Amino acid sequence: MDAPTAFRQQLLGAIPRLRRYARSLVFDPSAADDLVQTTLERALAHWHQFDQQRDILVWTLSIAHNAFMDERRRDKRMTLVEPTEARDVVDALPAIGNDIGLRLDLVAALSKLPIEQRQPLLLVTLEQLSYAECAEVLRIPVGTVMSRISRARSALRDLLDGRAPSNARGLRRVV
Amino acid sequence: MNAPPIDTLLNAWLDDELDAEKRIEVEAWLRDHPEEAARVRLWAADAEGLRARLDSVLAEPVPQRLTQVVWSQAPATAAPNTGWMRWAAAFAVFVVGGAVGAAIAWRVERPAAQMASSSGGPSWVQRAAVAHSVYVPEVRHPVEVKAQEEHLARWLTKRLEMPVKLFDLRSQGFELVGGRLLPDAKGPSAQLMYQSIGEAPAGQQPLRVTIYLRKPEVGTPAAFRYEQQGRTGLFYWVEGDSPGHPACGYAIVGDLPRERLLALAEAIERQDSASPSATPAS
Repeated sequence: MDAPTAFRQQLLGAIPRLRRYARSLVFDPSAADDLVQTTLERALAHWHQFDQQRDILVWTLSIAHNAFMDERRRDKRMTLVEPTEARDVVDALPAIGNDIGLRLDLVAALSKLPIEQRQPLLLVTLEQLSYAECAEVLRIPVGTVMSRISRARSALRDLLDGRAPSNARGLRRVV
Repeated sequence: MNAPPIDTLLNAWLDDELDAEKRIEVEAWLRDHPEEAARVRLWAADAEGLRARLDSVLAEPVPQRLTQVVWSQAPATAAPNTGWMRWAAAFAVFVVGGAVGAAIAWRVERPAAQMASSSGGPSWVQRAAVAHSVYVPEVRHPVEVKAQEEHLARWLTKRLEMPVKLFDLRSQGFELVGGRLLPDAKGPSAQLMYQSIGEAPAGQQPLRVTIYLRKPEVGTPAAFRYEQQGRTGLFYWVEGDSPGHPACGYAIVGDLPRERLLALAEAIERQDSASPSATPAS
């Protein structure tokens, strides 16, 4: 059975935020949109599993997460940006404001965080999910969300302050 | 190396994840530990920076290939299928349930620990914000029905099953562009789009604000609330139920300073509490 029009419209409304999340995960705009496309296709294929009482964004973010992890498993070349490439990626992002230098460093630093820290940090700070929603999307316990966010924030700070974070295994290609 | 537990607690405080008791405890501790408080402030600044940096993606036009995916294999006709029947049934329950709102209370509320507000208002307010970000950048099709078409108010009134008025915001410097029907959790909602009167600066789009209207759920708080997501501000409230004036949920969204958005919200509230037979301006 095909998805009803109203569901499709809800999905349409979720696209801008899905794109932002995907961009912050894989940085390359076209690869990020590929991820969004896979997410939308899966959401449409499973629309009947969507409970209207839930937030469509949280539901689609968890689909995006699964798709992202699947792709990483299938093709390790796809998503991770080498720290040396991070500068190019950062240059490709539109610049805003006067303190561009600061923000460039911020995204470059973000790209160096291990993916399991980057995900919860983005879901909570960028997508403003609660820890419980974040745990649901990532399918990890809330306690793990808490400790990963804590580690992510201090690692990000270490990177921005020019210190090597104690846990920046993300400097290697694949964690 | 594991982060010390105190860091986990400070992060949870920053993300507004603590219960009241624990929050007060942490806040007292932070007052006594200015260096730790400075660290937390930096985390908050980093979060702000990330949002500022990545929010620009929201304003980008959605690539066609993505909208095409959403509409691929869409039902060819508008004929209700089983899926639709379920939606219709849910909507019927909602209508029967009726909408009882209290009179509007002009207290502006703001969550106390709003540094990183976690939930960001009820989900319909999120829908209003997303609908705003989706349609405001649209150059060719910002609205479904243009303001000039006199059936706009009639059409929205019929589909929302409540009187939809077109507000006159010209005294605030905004004119009506038009409106569109949007899906809400349990039935249709409407979006009215306004844009600033006069020439926009070269190369820029005119400034646009959107008003989101819906039938509120029973027991929706009527308080007047404000939220901010990046540069975008949002006021939302529920207009009271009275004879000849069914309850209505409102959200006004725009990239405007809070005071200007509030002035617009007040203008809407004034016009809405005027006689329902008032001539709609367009």
